[in-house]
Parts: sequence; C-alpha cells; structure tokens
Amino acid sequence: MTMRLTGQTVVVLAEAQGHTTLNSDLAARIAAGATNAVRAVAAVVTSPDVRAVDPNLFDTEPAQFATELERLADRLET
Amino acid sequence: MSAGIAAQLDRPLVEVAAELAAGSYTSSELTEAALVRARALQPKVNCFIAIEEDAALEGARAADRARASGQSLGSLHGVPLAHKDMYYMAGRVTDCGSAVRRGFVPAITATVHRRMAAAGAVNIGRLNMTEFALGPTGHNAIWGDCRNPWNTAYIPGGSSSGSGAAVAARIVFASLGSDTGGSTRLPASVNGLVGLKPTYSLISRYGSMGLSFSIDTPGPVARTVADLARLLQVLAGVDPLDPTTSQRTVPDYEAALKGGIRSQRIGVPTNYFGEQVAPDVQVALDAALAVLRDCGATIVPVEVPLAEHLAELSRAVLYPEAATLHNHWLRTRPQDYSPQVRVRAATGLAIPAAVYLEAVQIRPRVLRHFVERVFAACDVLFTPTLAIPVPTLDETRVGGGETLWRIIGQLVRCTAPFNYLGVPALSVPCGFDANGLPVGFQLVGRPFSEARLLRVAAAYQAQTDWHRRAPTVR
Repeated sequence: MTMRLTGQTVVVLAEAQGHTTLNSDLAARIAAGATNAVRAVAAVVTSPDVRAVDPNLFDTEPAQFATELERLADRLET
Repeated sequence: MSAGIAAQLDRPLVEVAAELAAGSYTSSELTEAALVRARALQPKVNCFIAIEEDAALEGARAADRARASGQSLGSLHGVPLAHKDMYYMAGRVTDCGSAVRRGFVPAITATVHRRMAAAGAVNIGRLNMTEFALGPTGHNAIWGDCRNPWNTAYIPGGSSSGSGAAVAARIVFASLGSDTGGSTRLPASVNGLVGLKPTYSLISRYGSMGLSFSIDTPGPVARTVADLARLLQVLAGVDPLDPTTSQRTVPDYEAALKGGIRSQRIGVPTNYFGEQVAPDVQVALDAALAVLRDCGATIVPVEVPLAEHLAELSRAVLYPEAATLHNHWLRTRPQDYSPQVRVRAATGLAIPAAVYLEAVQIRPRVLRHFVERVFAACDVLFTPTLAIPVPTLDETRVGGGETLWRIIGQLVRCTAPFNYLGVPALSVPCGFDANGLPVGFQLVGRPFSEARLLRVAAAYQAQTDWHRRAPTVR
C-alpha cells in the first residue's frame, strides 16, 4: 500500500478539528506517524490470518478482547 | 544516620521487609536513609519531581507505631517506595510530568496507592516521568531530564524514567511505573532492573492518569524478581472501582518462583525480534539463553505472526486515544506541550476513526492468532527488550532529525507489539552493552502468565548476578 499522508493534509485535518497552530515541521512528523499506523492496520485487516474466521468485520465485537484474554489465559499451577 | 542503615538500601526488598518485621531496624531509620540518598543524588539523576519528606517520615512513624503495637500491616510494612507522578492521591499534587497539569490536586486516590498503603508501604515522593507518559527516552523539558545512574550522559528510558533511575540508584526498593508501549520495561532494561508490563486488566487503573484506555497498564519495577513478585501480589486483582479489571483469582506469585523451569520451552523468534540486534546486545542475549538452557529449559525456534505490524497496530490505537484525552488542551494550550510530546499527542488527529476502530475491532482475532501460533510451540517467548545499545540523552534530544526518530522507533520496537496484544512481558537484566550500560531480555507469555514469567526469570537470577550489580553515580 502506497498511501502517504502529507503535512499539508494533516494541517487541514487538524484545522477542521479546531487545531490552528500546527507548523509544517510538526505536521510533517504527525503525517509520518499516522501514515505508518494507517498502513499497518490496512496490512493486517487484509491478511488471510485475520480474515480467516470472517472475511469482514461486520459481526465482530471489539469487547471480545477482554473475553479472549480470559479464554486464552495461562494454566500454570502455583 | 549510621552507615549501616544506609547499606540496607542496597539490599533486596523482601530481605529488608523481613528484617523490619524482626525489629532489626525501624522504618523511620530506613526512610530517613532513603531521603538522605534521594537528596544527595537528585542533582545528578533528577529522578524525582517531588521528594515528599514530611509525608514520608510521617508514614514511616505510623508504620513503626503499628509494629510496636503488635500490628502487621502487610508484606510491604515500613518499606520506602516512590512512584511515577501519575497516580492520584486525594488532596496531594500530581503533575503527570507536565506543565498542563502542574499543581493538579485530585479528589480521588488511585487504587494502587491504596493497596500499597494497606500493605504498609511508605511513599517518599513522586518520580520523574516523560511528560504525560508520551515518550520512551526520559527527557522532560518541563521538570528536567531524568538521567541514567549508570552513566548520566545516557537515557534512563521512559516513560517511567524516575522509576528506573530511583530503583537502580538504590534510593527506593521498587516503584510503580506504567506501560503503554514499553514504559516500565525500557527503564528496567537500561537501568539493570526487572520491569513488568502485566496482562491488560490485571491491575486497576482507577485514579491513574490515562494515556490510552485500551492499552494502559500500571507496571512494577524492582531489582529482583522476588521483589517484583512481592509488589505485584499487592497490586493485582479485581477492583470494583475499575470495571475493566479481571475478576480472576490472583495466584501466589512468590510461591510460583520456586517451581524450576525444567519442562519449560523457551521460544526464540525466527523473525522480526532477532533482526537489527546490535552485536554487543546479542552477546548478552546469547549468554542469557545459555543460562536458561543450563537451568533445564528447552530452546525452540518460533515464528511470530504479523510481528512486523504489531508495534504500529499499537500506535494505531494509542494515538487516537491519546489525542482524544489531550484534544482540549492541544487546542487551548499547545504551547504548554514540549514539541516531541505534542507531536505524539496530536498524531491521532490524523488517523481516521474507521482505521482506529478497525485496529480495535481486529484485536481479539490478532491476539487469538498470536497465542495459538506462538504458544503452541513454546511456553515463554524470549526477545531483546532493547535491541540497540542504550542511546545518550543528546542523541535523542529534540532537533535530532531523522536519526532521532529512527532511534525512538528502535526503543519501542520490541516492546510495543505486546501492548497491542495485551499479554504480559517482563524485562530481566542480563549484562552490559559496549558502553557499560545495562542490557535486558524480555519474556512474553500467554494472558495472565505472570507467574510463569516470574518463575523463568527467578531461575535465571538464581544463576546470575546482574541484578546485584549497582551503579556508582557520578
């Protein structure tokens, strides 16, 4: 995936959310960080490992995370 | 104060707690010694935001009075500790290492503070931290940079910088930090300590500063595995005030240390975590694996699925949540953030909501996939905590350009993946890099496998003495 946010896009997004004082250096750094995060999510949601159970996320419940932690818990006897 | 009592500060928490109970010395004597050392080292290490002398001595006297009347408060009775400046105490200032929250006086007390106080601990002050816990180096433009006691030119790690520095400098026996991307494990690693990121939901976050509500965990830092187990026993378990805490029965962590590791399979990743490891760090890691093998563990290769994406997935959750918590202040007081922290707090403004929610939505699946794949092959995963030599404060200072951001990325490369997964991870000291700064390895387990991780680490510490090495602060 080649998507890349630019500093200019970040400035526009930030201004739309009421942030009016971002300079170009900060915006460029934010763009780099956000780009990496967005790319990683895109890579994982399309990976066969994650899609195997259900090809979309329509019926997925995020609160399942806590349940999964419990279900997958270690069984070491102490 | 005698030299004898000051020497007790260098000893393990569990031994000192036993000697306090036996009446070998008093909490007041020990706490006074800790305060003397804190005042002496503060100009060099800057690990405190506030040394709270009056409250500390009052707490120590109360512990001594209770002991004199035959009352045992608990497993930390009379032991001086200090904690990251982000856990609230009603009526007392908590600055969160920031300018924005400077002088903030909360109306509530964190459950972790209540539990440590109920166990008899004495609190001697609030420890330095990265501003709002948003950064892995320990720089703090508002309260001054915390410095590594092994060599004050080097970073103490962050964001629980003061926790790592104060425990390593033998000012306090242990400390509570927090971990959202590596913030207890990094300071533990670079200061020669053990540090735990517990399973998400194991320790209450009620009354603590939030950074990322889906990821944040309080986490203890100590010098030995046994000391850390003692603190974890006090902290872990369900809290009615924090609905996200697990209702599981808490195991006996100290008892778990004694089991040995003869049947344990230690998994060494064949991908990602073994890449980009500096030669001097690799030497220490290889030697640690040899010790674990000598203890009876079996070393097995393991492929970690999706490993190259996990740290970024963690950030895809952390950044939008941090931006949500900081949004008002970022709009109204942007000048009160240091530049690096402002960038981190604001990055979530540029991550679309649907992307953030996808990262949250797929989290249970990614966790299940990780656990089923990795822990079918091994019982505990072994990785570096920090794969590069400890960087200097100057190398990681604002204005360092791309080199700075590359190093920052390296700092959390091996720790942040496990924050997204919510599984426990423990950093254990295992040697020194070419510059004489500590190196640590990281043990990772299934959810709620803290007892197993501590057992493996205890077996390692029984055969090594890295955890007994102390810095000479210059």
